This record gives sequence, C-alpha cells and structure tokens, in this order.
Amino acid sequence: MHTEHTIETPHQRQNRHKAMEAISVINALKEDFKFPIQSMGYFYDLFETVYCRHEPLHEGKVKIGTMCIQIPSEIIYALDGVPIRLCNGFYTDDEIGSDLLPQKSCPLVKATVGWFASDNFSDKPDITFSPTTCDQKTKAGAIIESFGHTVIDVGFPRTKESEESHHYWRESVKSFAVKLSKFQGKKLTRSNLESAIKKIGYAQSLYHKLTEFRKNKAVPILGVDMFLVTNAFFFDKIDEWIGAVEKLVAELEQRASAGVNVAGKASPRIVYTGSPPIFPNYKIPLIIEQSDAVIVADETCSSNRMFNDMVAVDEWNLYDMIDSVSDKYLKACTCPIFTQNDDRIRRIIQLVRSYSGDGVIYQAFAGCQVYEMEQRSVLAAMEREGIPILYIESDYSPSQHGQLTTRVEAFVESLKNRKRMKK
Amino acid sequence: MRYFVGIDIGSTAIKISVADENKNLVGHKISASGSMFYKYAQEALGELLRELGIEEKEVVYTVATGYGRKLFKEADENVSEITANAIGAQQAAKSYGEIKTIINIGGQDSKAISLDAEGNVVNFAMNDRCAAGTGKFLDVVAMNLEIGVDELSDYHFKSVGTPLSISSTCAVFAESEIIGLLGNNHSVEDIVSGVHYSIAKRIVKLVKRIGVKENVYFDGGPALNDGLVSAIENELGHKIFVPEYPQITTSYGAAVLACDAFMCE
Ligand code: SF4
Ligand code: SF4
Repeated sequence: MHTEHTIETPHQRQNRHKAMEAISVINALKEDFKFPIQSMGYFYDLFETVYCRHEPLHEGKVKIGTMCIQIPSEIIYALDGVPIRLCNGFYTDDEIGSDLLPQKSCPLVKATVGWFASDNFSDKPDITFSPTTCDQKTKAGAIIESFGHTVIDVGFPRTKESEESHHYWRESVKSFAVKLSKFQGKKLTRSNLESAIKKIGYAQSLYHKLTEFRKNKAVPILGVDMFLVTNAFFFDKIDEWIGAVEKLVAELEQRASAGVNVAGKASPRIVYTGSPPIFPNYKIPLIIEQSDAVIVADETCSSNRMFNDMVAVDEWNLYDMIDSVSDKYLKACTCPIFTQNDDRIRRIIQLVRSYSGDGVIYQAFAGCQVYEMEQRSVLAAMEREGIPILYIESDYSPSQHGQLTTRVEAFVESLKNRKRMKK
Repeated sequence: MRYFVGIDIGSTAIKISVADENKNLVGHKISASGSMFYKYAQEALGELLRELGIEEKEVVYTVATGYGRKLFKEADENVSEITANAIGAQQAAKSYGEIKTIINIGGQDSKAISLDAEGNVVNFAMNDRCAAGTGKFLDVVAMNLEIGVDELSDYHFKSVGTPLSISSTCAVFAESEIIGLLGNNHSVEDIVSGVHYSIAKRIVKLVKRIGVKENVYFDGGPALNDGLVSAIENELGHKIFVPEYPQITTSYGAAVLACDAFMCE
C-alpha cells in the first residue's frame, strides 16, 4: 500500500527549507499590505528565482565573495568580478552553523559559516575577501578557509579617527586591489575604476531618490520593501538592479504625487537601527509594519550604510581614486566595531530629524557583542534628545514571534499616544 | 483455538486487535470512543468476535491499554500505551527488521519512542500541549480546504511550488493562516505539502530529542497519509516503515502481550 519514496539529499532538504523560509516572507511582502507597488514585482521574482528555485544568476562569471560591506565593490566591478555579499539571513543555515560555532554566536555569522559548511550555493564565490571587522566575522573567515575555500583577510582598523588608521586602511585596500587583480589576471586602470565608481555612484543616487520619497507625509513605500531592494544589491546583476530601481523611482514619483500612503493615518514613523535585517530574516521589520507603524529610514549595514556615502574623488587618477574609495569605506562607516562611534549616534539623530521619525527601534542579534554593547550609549543619547527608543534582542529562530509582537505593539501604541498628546 | 485480545481505549477511538497463538493478527476493529466508552468498548469487542466467528470463551487473555485502560474492568491486565506500542511495532515489523525508533501520531498527541535491542522502551518524548502536529490538526486542515482527509496525500504529491509552511503552532491560529493563504489564491496542493512539512519538522524535532536510530517505525492514523510519510522521511533523511494497519499497532501490541502473558502462566 505504501509506495517507496525517493528521499531528499541533504542539499535538497536544505534548499527546500530555504525555499519555505523565503516564500513565506515574499508572500507576506506581496500580500499582507495595502497598495502594492507594481515594480516591486522584479524584486519578488528575483528572490524567488534565487532562493526558491535556486537558479544561478552569474553563470560563467568570476564571483568574489565579500564578508562585509567594507570590501569595495568598485574595485571588484572594475576588475570584472561580480561581488557576492555573504551576510546571510537564513535560519536553515544558522542551524547548520550552530554546530560549528559557540552557542552564543551571532546568527548572521553562524548562517554564513553554515552556508559554507554545507557548500550549497547557486552562485558559489570563487574566492572570498574578509575584512577584519567584528571578532566573529574575523574568526569566521578562518573557519570557512578550513572547509577548503580560499579566504583572504583584509586588515581593517578598529579606530576610525586616527591618521594611522587611515593610512593602514588605504594600504589594505591597495593590497586587496593587487591580489584581486592577480586573481583576475586583469589590470586595474584609471578608466575601468572610474567607470565602476560612476556606476556604483549612480546606483547610490537612485537609492537616495527612493529615500527622499520616504520623507513625505504620505509614505509611498514600506520599509520591508526597501530592505528587499537594498538586499538585492548583495547579489543581483548590477545593470538589471539599476534598471529595476529606475522603474521603481518612476512609480514612486507617481505615487507621491497621487499621495499614496502605505501606512495608516496614525502610523508612527520608525527609524530602524542595529544588526542588519538580511533576507529572509525580516522578522522585526515585518512585525513593525504589521503593527501599524512604518519604517521611514534605517541605519543598518544591509541597507542605508551600503548606499549612504558616495566616493568623493578630487582627481580622477588611479591612486587618488583608490584612496577616495578607501576613505568612503572607513570614514563614513558607522559600524559598531569601532572604539568610538559618535558618528552612528549623530546619523541616527539626523535620520530621525530629516525623516520626521516618531521613534527608533534598535535591534541587536543575540550574540552580537558590539551592537549589544553600543545599546547603552545610543539609548542615553536618544534620551537626551527626547527620542523614544525600543531596544530588542532577537535571533533567527521563528519561535519568539508572539513575544516580540507584543513588545513592538506596545511601543507603537505608546508612540501613537505621544503623538495624540502633542496635538 | 485460543485467542488473545488487545484493546486500546484512546481519546478519540477504541481500537481492538485479536491475535492467535502465533501472535498473528486475525482481526481488528476501530470505533469512536465517545462519552460512554466503556459500553462502546464492550459492544465493539462483541461485534468483532462475532464477525470473526470467535466464541467469547475462546478469548483466554485480554490486555487493555490507552487513556481509558483502567476503566475496562474485564481486562486481565493493563499496560501503558508506550509499552504496548513498542511491542506491537516490534511484532508488526518482524519481517522488515529490528525497530529502534517509533513515531506515533495520534488524534490528540504525538510521541517518539526509542527502543533497545530487546525491544524495551529506553526513552520517549511526547507532545500533548497543542493540536498542531496531530491527527486532529489534519482533520481541521482538510475541512478548511474542503477536501477529504484521505485526499491529502494526493494533493501533497501534486504540489509543484514551494511548500507553504504554516508558522503558528496553535491549531486555531493555523486555521486562520490557511484561510489567509486560500484567500490569496495559493494552490491547495502547496498548502497541503506545507502543512505536512510543518508537522514533519515538528515531529522530527521531537524524535531528535531522543535520538534517531534506524529502523524507524511510524504508526497512528495519520501514517495512512503517504504524503505525510514522505514529508517525514525527507525531514529525517531516512526511510521509515509503515505497517499495514498503522492505526492499531498499540492494540495489537496489547494482544501480543496477552499472548505472552498467557503462555507464561
Ligand atoms: S555589522 Fe559591521 S561587521 Fe557586521 S556585517 Fe555589518 S558592517 Fe560588517
Ligand atoms: S551583527 Fe554583530 S556580530 Fe554579527 S556580523 Fe554584525 S557586527 Fe558582527
């Protein structure tokens, strides 16, 4: 009566688990909110192609894995590589990585390690560059190397202000460029770097256009959709990404002039900060926007921090360009791994002011020391400024959903009350 | 001839098995337990014996098991459903191989039992706190999808998209999730396979708590659902054995025990 079934291989099972995680988030984005945006369809399809159907996007191309945003994509594109950012948001991979790392590790790092441990990629990086940013990322590089993958460390300083740091980082980037150019068998030239800088600069300018619309009283795009768009930049074909975002900008322009508002009448406007939400770990952003609030801006390295600051070139000669690229990745970075991080606090306050934020939600991954530690100074600063803030610790597991929802809802309601009292 | 009866009085059904001296299953019956289950149990037993042409005095030993076992006073002995399940599984899978792990999904709970080489229960884990992951849950799902429980398997194998997982562990919330998915025009097939995988993931988690050792045996009514069987196999990464009558393993185990007990006397 019972037929023999072919049983999935571990890779097939992992792929199915990831597909199931992915589809439920994609469906939530597509179906749970009012006034869907047509040009978001490109991004929903993209994530379905990559994470549900596991189809490669870059066949025949050399893929350069990056462990963090600090590896300059300008240089990778100039040398004909495709940057693939390996920060991973899948619980499936986090569980695999859990067997290899201490229990209280960052889920993002566990997921990246788990991804390599299972060696199951649709677009596997040929080589990976790992900046020595936070401790866990730094050590993860060595673990991934032990699986037989080529990982090259790129020294990254942990103080931002000093001259020595600037110098050290500029040298690091140069040495990265030399290694990559050898690996690719291609020379970095004035013209290929210039056009890569310009292309990324253009992509950034599109992002800035998108964020401008979020300053409006009627918000034409949800924060979760914005996270998806910026996340796509981790791995998408850059020209297609640019084309899709151009369409999105055009559609938002129409929506803005028609006054379309994806939020409710009383929805508090949230500035999101902390450990990066990476697809499909949109747990907290989804809870926020399903609780009648709207994310109008963020300070995270999976989104705003990736696009915010432009490379500022004075002289378009090769060495000046490399230095300018380096500076963008250090001076402008607001990652909490630095000793002092007043820049991050300033950035958050500035975002609250310019996007008329009603409150800040600060999410730290349980196991991320630096974000957990910076909580104190950020909370104190927000208190000084009179900006309400909610601090949440969470991981990738689907289990705490109910509790988190209750906390977020309570915060959102308190913001609504505050708004009413002011009037 | 001498016969041995095992009677499993559960929360949703009464299951009776009759075995002969060689411990072969000669007949079985399943009927709803309801409120007067003592009376129903007696009636069902009488009916089964009549069907099989067995006289009451030919039944020489009766063992009761299940939640309601202590209320069935006619039994010569009673035994916990864990033990009965273990004995029944060992016997039913004799030609297949030695059983080391049992997965049981009942109407209201689910269990994982681990056995040693002699077939003794060494460990078990149980989930009786929520309906999601039980037979009852599958009934509710089928009802919401307006299909029969026996059709779930066909729908499962016809699913071509990504299985749509149900995240709520509470049957009531899961119900509204399913209604939401239907409202957004998702295919019944993908919902069904998603439900099966959600149950499978939960049960495999339970099994992993006691350690997975092969061979794995799967019983309880939901084991008739081949789609669910396949989902559990995929989550486990192992083949599992399903007996011919998965609903009655526990009562069959009680009948086997009755036979052993009688022979020892
Ligand atoms: S938080 Fe900092 S170290 Fe971690 S991924 Fe983001 S930029 Fe890199
Ligand atoms: S979240 Fe924290 S621990 Fe994780 S990669 Fe970022 S900085 Fe490192």
